This record gives sequence, C-alpha cells and structure tokens, in this order.
Amino acid sequence: MNVLTRTVLGRLGGMLLTLILASMVIYSAVLLTGDPIAALAGGAKPTPELVEQIRAEYHLDDPVWSRYWQWLTGAIQGDFGRSFVYKTPVVSLVGPRFGITLQLVLLTVLLILVFGVGSGILAATRGRVVDRTIAAMTSLGMALPTFVVAILLIWVFAKSLGWFPVYGEGEGVWDRLWHLVLPAISLAVLFIAYVSRVTRGSLVAQLHSEHVDTARVRGIPRRRIFGVHVFRNASPQILAIAGTTIAGLFAASAIAEVAFGLGGIGSLLVQAAARADLPVVQIVSLLLVTIFVVLNAVADLISAIIDPSSVGGGRTS
Amino acid sequence: MKRTALAAGAVAGAALLALTACTPRDADDADVVGDDFEIVDAQPAGTQAVDEVTWAIVEGEPATLNPAASANLIIPNLCDNLLSLQPDFSIEPGVAERAEFVDPVTFVITLRDDVTFWDGSPVTADDVVYSLQQNTNPASQWYGAFALVDPDPTAGIAATGPNEVTVRFIAPDSTFRDALAGQGGAVMQKAFGEANGAAVGTPDAGLMCTGPFELQDGGWTPGSEIVTIANEDYWNGAPLVGTLTYTFVSDGSTLATALTQGEIDGAINVSPGSRAVFEGDGAGSLTVGHSTASYSFGPASATSAAANPKIRQALNLAIDRDQYLETVVNGLGYVQKTIVPEFSFHSMEASGTYQEGYDALAEPEVDLEAATALVEESGEDVSRPLVVAVPSGAKEFQQTAAIIQSAGKQIGLDIRIDEMQASDFGALFYDPSKREGVDFVATQGYLETPGVLGYPSLFMLPPEMGGIFNWSGYENPEVTEHLLAARNATDPETAAREFTAAQEVFAPDMLQVTLAGTYQLTYLSDELTGVTTSIAAYSSPWALHLGGK
Repeated sequence: MNVLTRTVLGRLGGMLLTLILASMVIYSAVLLTGDPIAALAGGAKPTPELVEQIRAEYHLDDPVWSRYWQWLTGAIQGDFGRSFVYKTPVVSLVGPRFGITLQLVLLTVLLILVFGVGSGILAATRGRVVDRTIAAMTSLGMALPTFVVAILLIWVFAKSLGWFPVYGEGEGVWDRLWHLVLPAISLAVLFIAYVSRVTRGSLVAQLHSEHVDTARVRGIPRRRIFGVHVFRNASPQILAIAGTTIAGLFAASAIAEVAFGLGGIGSLLVQAAARADLPVVQIVSLLLVTIFVVLNAVADLISAIIDPSSVGGGRTS
Repeated sequence: MKRTALAAGAVAGAALLALTACTPRDADDADVVGDDFEIVDAQPAGTQAVDEVTWAIVEGEPATLNPAASANLIIPNLCDNLLSLQPDFSIEPGVAERAEFVDPVTFVITLRDDVTFWDGSPVTADDVVYSLQQNTNPASQWYGAFALVDPDPTAGIAATGPNEVTVRFIAPDSTFRDALAGQGGAVMQKAFGEANGAAVGTPDAGLMCTGPFELQDGGWTPGSEIVTIANEDYWNGAPLVGTLTYTFVSDGSTLATALTQGEIDGAINVSPGSRAVFEGDGAGSLTVGHSTASYSFGPASATSAAANPKIRQALNLAIDRDQYLETVVNGLGYVQKTIVPEFSFHSMEASGTYQEGYDALAEPEVDLEAATALVEESGEDVSRPLVVAVPSGAKEFQQTAAIIQSAGKQIGLDIRIDEMQASDFGALFYDPSKREGVDFVATQGYLETPGVLGYPSLFMLPPEMGGIFNWSGYENPEVTEHLLAARNATDPETAAREFTAAQEVFAPDMLQVTLAGTYQLTYLSDELTGVTTSIAAYSSPWALHLGGK
C-alpha cells in the first residue's frame, strides 16, 4: 500500500468513527434539550390523555439506547424519520432546502477564494502600502460579525440604493443569483479576512525561505518562482484553512439565511430547534457534521496530492 | 370557544373562518382615536383582479392546516365555518343559512344548498356531522366548546335531513353558536377526512374544504411556502386574487424591510415595535383594527406568594399602564381593565349589559403606597424572589418582564425573570413539573370568536370543571356558580347578567393581571385593499375581497 492509499483508508475509517460518535452525541443531546410534546401536539394544549397517547406513539418512554438503535437502523435504510411538526418525511424537508444552502455556500466560497486568496497574494507581493492597507481591511473584516454585515448591506444596498432584494430566494438562475449576492457577501466578509491573512502569512514564509533564495540566485524568472516554489508550497496551508472555512460555512449560513429570509438548511435548523422538531434537528445537525468531516478530509487529501510530504512518510525533495 | 393563544411556540390560535357573507364596509367603520390613528376593521373591497399576492405569516409556518387542530391566518381563507364572523365581530349566516336553538337543548343547523367543496361535490349534512364530530375529540382546539354536546355519537350530532343537522345537548349552552362562527364550525369533506385520517391538513395530504382559496396537491412546500389559488366557484363570489402565496418570515426586521420595499405585499400581526418603519415611506400602509388580544400575567403556583390576590393587586397598582403601552406596543394599544376585552362582546346581543359591567370595574391606576401596604397586609414572606416566566426572543415579553420587575422593586417585591425557550415555555401549560420554581407566567392571548366565557372558564373555574390554567387553586363558589349559570343560560340577557355578576367578583382578584389590550396591525401594499383588519381575520376569509384599488 502506498502512502496515499493508506492515508485515504485511514481517513475514511476516522471519518466513519467520527460520524458514529457524532450521531450518538447528537441523538442524546437533542433528546435532553427539548420536550417534544408541544411540537407533536401541533400547538394544541394537550390534555393528559393526549400526552399519554403521543408518548406511546413515538416511543418516548423507551430507553434512549433503544430509540437510538431504531433511529440508526432506520437511517441506514434511508428512513430518516418524520418531522414532529409537519409530519412529513425529514428527507423531503431537508432535500429542497439543501440546494439553496449549497448555492449560497458555493457563491460564498467563490468570493472567499477570489478575494481572500487574491488579497493575500497582493499583500504578500505588492509592497508595504498595499500590505498595510489590506491588513487594516482584514482587521476590520474579522471584527464584523455576519449579522452586522447583513444589517449594513440591507441598509445600504437594499433599502437606500434598492439594488438588491432583501428577502427570499428568487426564481430562475439569474434571479436566484441576484437574491444570493448580499447573503453571500455578508457570510464571506469574515472568512475573506481570515483566508487573506493565512494566505499572506504562508506566502511570506515561503518567500523568505532558503529554497526560494536559491531559486532566485539561479536566475529562475520571478513568475515561475512564485508559481512553482512559493505558491505551491504555501498551498497546503491555504487549502487546509479554506477547507475548514468552507465546511464551517454550511453551519454559519444560518445567520445569513435568517437575516435574508432564505429557506436553506441553516434557517430550517433554527426553526426546528425553536419548535423542538427533534428529528429535523438531529438530521440537519448530523448533515452539518458529515459535511464538515468530509470536506476536511477532502482538503487533507488534496494537500497530500499537491505535497505528499505533508502526510509524512516519503519525502520528495 | 376562545382560548388563550399562548405566546410563541404554544400559540396556536384557533382560528376559525367564517365566510363573510357581505362585502366589508367602507371606511364608515372607522372611529377616530385622538389624532394619532383611526381604527378600521375592514378595508374597502378591492375592485381590480390581481394575479398574485405574496403574504407573510408572522407567526411562522403552521404545523397543520387542519381547522380542528390549529389556528392560523391561512386556514380562514381555505375552510369555511358554518356561521360567518363579520369584521365588527357580529355573526351572520354562512354555509349554514340558519343555526339556532329550537329548544334549550336542541340546536338545528340548516345548510345552504349551493355550497360545494373544491372538487365540485356538494356539502351534505353528513359532511357537517363529520366535521362537527372532530371537535368531540380531546385533541381538538374546540373540545371545550363542545363539552355540553350529548356524548352519544348517534344522538349528539346527527343528520336530520338532506340539509339539516341537529345537535343535542346535555344542558343548555349559551356559547355554542359563537363557536360555529369560529373553526369549531369548520366544514370539511367527510370522504376526504376518512381517506386521510390523521394526515388531514398536513403538507402530504392537504385539505378538502369549501373556502374562497384552494390548497391543491403540492401547494404546500414544507419549510418554504404555501400556494393557494382562487376557488372560482366560491358560493359567496370568486376572490379577486388569482394566486395567494403565504411565506414565513420570523425575523421582525427582515419582514419590516421586505414589506416596506414591496417584496412582500402584506402581513397581519406585524410588530408594533416597527411602527415608525411602517408609518414611514414605503410600499404600503399600516392599518389599525380592533382586537381581543391582550398582554397579562398570572400565578403559576398554588403555594407561592403569587397565589395571594393581595400580591397581584399590589403589582397591579405598581404598574404604570401608560408607560407600558408606550414601551411595549409603541402606543398601539389601550388600557384594558380585566381579562375579558370589550371587543369580545362588542356586537353581542346583550352588549349593553356587558358594557355596563365592564364600565363598573375599577380603572387601573398607580398607587405605590397602597401597593406597598397590600404587600405587608398579605402576610407573605417576600424575601424569596418571585420568578416570572416569559418566552425568549420576543422583545415585547422582555419589556413586559422588565416592567413587572421594576414595579415589584418599587413595592419591595424581588422579581426574577426567567426567559424560556419556546418549547419549554409551551410545556408550562400542560406539564405541572415545568412550573416548579415559576411564580408568574406572562402571556399574550386573543379570542378568535365573540363571547366572554372562554378566559374565565380557563382561569377561574376549578380544574375539574375546565379551569386547566387555574394553577393557583382559585376557587370561589360565587364565581363558579355565576359562570356556570351564564353558560347554561337560555337567553342572552340572563347569560350577560350572570357573567357580569361573576366578573364583579373575579376581576378584583386579578387571576390575570391585565397589562394592556392591543390592536390588530395589518400592513398592506398601497396598490391593494379589501382585507379584514380586525381580529375577526382569524375566523373569516379575510382575503375574499382582497384586490387592486
């Protein structure tokens, strides 16, 4: 088995273990937090008889482990349960909303990569003034929480200028994109700042390293030095940060979704939690954990492919 | 029946829809209140057809559209009630052209013969029997309203002719007819109900009703929107709006922006906190209508100092209502003397007697000396803090709690605030163990149909007689006797006199300390008109006359 295969298998095993542990934690934590009777009674003020009936119907009095087992075996067979509130299969609730969150995250990722990595490169290579300016801007960006950015954007671009809508998902490709711009920017600001800092930091470290000095002395063109020696060596670190960031976006999107009235999984999670719709909370939480774990693993693997030395074992240079 | 709509999670307001059999009046319905705003219960009917209207539901997405199980502002446009509640809270014939007691314990309903369900099939007496029987199930929001119906399923509610249904009672019931103007009288198709069972009203199964808007297969995308389309064959005239789409916006400031920017056409129950935004430049205007809604707080325990009327009376004397109105509802409310609001009897037959009874009650006033004296007289140990529970996340309740707290401080009562998550707060109302450590619960409630006995029955009768929110163990034989006599009265005047006799005693006991009555606030695009803007929107098809100006 070569290093890469071993890494992939190790990663997969780790992922699976993480997911099983996460599912246990999520299942029991969710059970501890809310009393589902109100949700199940559909807002009625249940009589004691109705409460009894609901407890029996949903096996609320069974031990936690047996309920967890039922849930897990169901989930493996593709049955993720039914929403306590809407009584529809959880999958039909989560499915359509996932698309919106995914689109929002993709647009945000695009912004983060273009502006985050871009400004990091500029800061590292374009001299002091540019570096200082970008440093000031990223400090500001890091200090602005998503909901503050959202309020500012709504105020300026939606209310005062009227360029963008403030609410909803829109219909059709362009309308959707138009509706997602402000939410994506509000989500991206913090992460652009973060990725920009990391990019700049790792590039500067590479620029001052011995092998780059050597390359320069050997008369290799600047552009080639930057591409092959600096950026390539700095990229695992940038990727690792970008991977974590993007994975985190799926959870962070809740704030933007609520502020801009988007029906994605983030706002679904917020709603479901408020109404003790436990099956939905469980599945969305587990989905978020899965995305996080998978994206991190993917980022690691890409790093390994770009620079096998980063996983340990063989050395190529 | 009337219920408390417990704020937040537990608030399922039972809305009933009554068909408005006549066009809403013009602005002649408006009274002028100061120079500040006027009260309008129904906007002039629309005159232009409109293809699409997007409506925001402020309370969030409902769990179900089953009229027996839920109250929200969507059901009233989908399902008709037997009687038709008017914007001024009077009751007119609807799907039932007649519905009266023919003797003290026999109620006969005569149906119109031209009403059809969305699928074109006519409404039969069997459908109505099926629909009314839904409310004899304890899970129904209207169970209490049907409590005196003969429990024998064949004798209680029966078809007695092709268009006639007879309801038999074990005792006279002065409140039953009012419930039929609410969702207690909602008409659903029997065949559809039997085919779908418990799934009626869910996104998967949908509904089969007779109202002016239809919910078609796939019309409800859970978590996203509910699309309804005009019922062109509606018995009371087709609506002007072709497609009425409901969307759910829980964030108050997002909603205010979307409404004023014209991205959403309208919403009922917008937050008074955004009054300035709604009254400023924007795509629409704010309409203020009559309501039965109020804020109040009451005792949650029989053993705490909160169960002592003197403590509640003291707090009542320490709270400045004008300040409350300004702070919590931005002036869009009024001083309400007791738990039963004036609008609930405003259009009832014996309204004069009810009004006299109300007028005779003491006006809330601030008297800190008297309040402090009451605390001393109470003999309660006030060194232990009293906990007031409010639902979290709602600014109005945070302010309410803060006002109660500062009033308490002025008279030597240490009040602690417990902000609870919606689901925990909801659990207070049915799980006694959740009320441990809680002394007061603050709520907002409204009554969706006319009638005065709903709140007193829930809060003042002994628990075994229906007083399920009577947590302080209040029991006054005089009150109980008059309340029961009011319900069993066979003529409106007697019912009114019995009620006011009970009210004279229970009002000063402050089982709920009423903080303020509020208005129904509707924001609507300036291009549209025709919405029912009073609290009657919860029980009548408020969008029937919605259309272009």
